[in-house]
Amino acid sequence: MPAGLPSGSDGRSSLAARPPAIRAAGVDVAFQGPAGIHKVLAGLDIEVADGELLTIIGPSGCGKSTLLRVIADLLDPAAGAIEVFGQPPAVARRRRDVGFVFQDSTLLPWRTVIENLRLPDEVGRGAQVERRDEQGGASAAELITMMGLAGRENAYPHQLSGGQRQRVAIARALLSRPRILLMDEPFGALDEITRDRLNEELLNIWRSTGMTILFVTHSIMEAAYLGERVLVLASNPGRLRELEDLRAVKAAASGSIRENPAFVERMGHLRAVLRTC
Amino acid sequence: MLNGRGQRASATSRVALPVLGALSLLAFWQFLIPLFGVPKYIVPTPWQVMLRIAADPLLLWQNLVPTFIESILGFIIGNLAAILLAIGFVYNKRVEQAYFPVVLFLNTIPVLALAPIIVLIFGIGILPKVIIASIICFFPTLVNMTRGLESVSASEKDLMHVLSASGFEIFWKLRAPRSLPFLFASLRIASTACVVGAIVGEWIGANKGLGAVIIQSTFNYRSDLLYAAIIVSSSLAVAIFLVVTAVERRIINYQ
Repeated sequence: MPAGLPSGSDGRSSLAARPPAIRAAGVDVAFQGPAGIHKVLAGLDIEVADGELLTIIGPSGCGKSTLLRVIADLLDPAAGAIEVFGQPPAVARRRRDVGFVFQDSTLLPWRTVIENLRLPDEVGRGAQVERRDEQGGASAAELITMMGLAGRENAYPHQLSGGQRQRVAIARALLSRPRILLMDEPFGALDEITRDRLNEELLNIWRSTGMTILFVTHSIMEAAYLGERVLVLASNPGRLRELEDLRAVKAAASGSIRENPAFVERMGHLRAVLRTC
Repeated sequence: MLNGRGQRASATSRVALPVLGALSLLAFWQFLIPLFGVPKYIVPTPWQVMLRIAADPLLLWQNLVPTFIESILGFIIGNLAAILLAIGFVYNKRVEQAYFPVVLFLNTIPVLALAPIIVLIFGIGILPKVIIASIICFFPTLVNMTRGLESVSASEKDLMHVLSASGFEIFWKLRAPRSLPFLFASLRIASTACVVGAIVGEWIGANKGLGAVIIQSTFNYRSDLLYAAIIVSSSLAVAIFLVVTAVERRIINYQ
């Protein structure tokens, strides 16, 4: 287990016993567009278990990112209810329950790796952040080692590769020890080899922390490989099309999951579903 | 090796070629202008100008000091006012919408046209020169600083929101550092423009300062002193520019 990260208290086997991390009921999100009100999400119901890794896939404009933004309190739903650990998203945000990794790493170019990583410790210090216990989190130095960034602490973002920048962004999100990590196509701009490596590292982090992860991607392979469940959204308006549960397939598979026939068959199914979205 | 040699060669040519360029122009001025029959009371040779600087260093120094003070005060006041107004604009969109177009219009008024009015209002002391120098620094910095403070990306704003950063923290941790490259771009312009402002102010009404020397030596046909004053003014502007550039390199060391 990577040093310093809080471990999942009761392992992955008893996830169902815990209350859900996220519960969305009838969530609508709408924008005022040039041609009137445009519904991005319509009546979305979903429950994400504490400690689950849920991947979200769907065509452009189906509301994948919008769903993450609603959970992160970056957008208010027009209708419906959303709860993060039984609380409104704003409360979860102030408790630093939620971490966000953006598609572009959003590193501040004037800050070095270590300074970027420490940003969460420097802001939100006012009465706004109702911090949870201060013990048990990984320090910035430990996260640097864990994310394979040792020796690059004092580098500026422009001196890093795309993969390294996303590692810093993930480490920064982990510094606040969020219980939920929201990732909006974080590896979308990376080459395939780097992407595969980061997928492995993300799975290791997830297994060792017991964190809930919602991961938006455009790649069917990535969605299926990472997710315990894959949420497929259809567009116009964005709505739940299918929720594919891969836990049984993954538990039964031996050897490389990517080449497992049952897994490949499920991917084929996902591809077929996506064509109809 | 080839790369190293190539870099060394280009570094040498970066220094050597401009020096050669300047020397060739000086040689043209020294030897060819007199051959064209241009009288020395109109265009003195560079050598005559150097002799004048060597002969009258005290006169030039005594007039450089007031111009320097006016320029620096104008630089500080003009830029500070612009920075504060830009912050006001960014945090109050309605004020920005109301006044930014007006500011852009005011920016089109040539400072030469404005200078007599300012001298008329504020007299012939140091104040009108500082005001003119301030005005000339003010507009580029206001425009650039406003743009710089607004140049934060949507995901940077989102990041700060997710981290529950306060408005004050967003300003100091995000907007202010984002604006610095924009600010320094305008400070570089202001570093030379403030000297122009001070000299223009001195032209209209002053008995000391490099602008006064320029006007008086023009009327007295002391062209060697006129050129010497121009060279000293230009050196002052270059010196302020170099200081600003050095500070910029020290602060913006991440690009």
